[in-house]
Amino acid sequence: MPRFKLVDGVSVQLTAEEEAAIDAKEAAWNAGAFDRAIAEVRRKRDALIKETDYLALSDNTLSAEMTTYRQALRDITNGVDTVEKCNNITWPTKP
Amino acid sequence: MGLISNGTTIFDNGAVSSSLTGGLVLVSSATASSSASIEFTLGSYNIYKFFYINVHPGTESKFQFNLSTDSGSNYNVTKTTTSWRTFFNEAGNDTGLSYADNDLSQGTGPQVLSASNSVGADNDQACCGHLTIYNAASTTFSKHFQAETQFSHLSDYAVRDFVAGYANTTSALTNIQFTFASGNIDAGKILMFGIN
Repeated sequence: MPRFKLVDGVSVQLTAEEEAAIDAKEAAWNAGAFDRAIAEVRRKRDALIKETDYLALSDNTLSAEMTTYRQALRDITNGVDTVEKCNNITWPTKP
Repeated sequence: MGLISNGTTIFDNGAVSSSLTGGLVLVSSATASSSASIEFTLGSYNIYKFFYINVHPGTESKFQFNLSTDSGSNYNVTKTTTSWRTFFNEAGNDTGLSYADNDLSQGTGPQVLSASNSVGADNDQACCGHLTIYNAASTTFSKHFQAETQFSHLSDYAVRDFVAGYANTTSALTNIQFTFASGNIDAGKILMFGIN
């Protein structure tokens, strides 16, 4: 199915060269799906760990529950090797 | 019938006085309909202001733009950019203010406007925002730009992204192209204004 672009408000059919460039762009995007998904998991994991970093300072003793919670966060990416797994992670509950 | 203010003719018989040079002029607009890209030809206005309204992706993807110096034959202008974001989610359990990915260091690829992540493709999801480009026709200076984008993130976040940078070329910018990183621009409107 041909693609079209809007140039100054006018619809123009893409050339074969432009179609090929977009096909390549689409392939690259699809190939990066897992990288994008796992990056989002890591971003959220890192933010949650940072939230409790102050409890792990040297002048404080972490509770067992908090230790378990923080370890679960650090382990959250273990075995996560597909986009579907990234999207279905069960996040631990903060004590 | 003319409109005269403080001795200056502003409107006369339907025509706007040429002495009014600071106005916002609607140069062009485009309404997407499963469009691979939306492109505009730039001219000699000192400032170009783009508003993108309810731009909806065909599939979850990042909204982005690139620039051309050869009348749209190639969209590959070298850019150095920076971006940051704030976000909060519908679940109410993830919020943040941080530096965002998708900055460019002398990159020639598109500059992502939804810098944090993909715009959602649910029927009610889209992105809105505005992009300003300064002195696009300059053959002396780099061309600076800045954008602010609000969008519905694919994981149901409100995300506000700020992007700024410069096109590191002394060639005049001739065209701008808006795309999604993947898939079509299913719907949405982009307005291009010029300011002198």
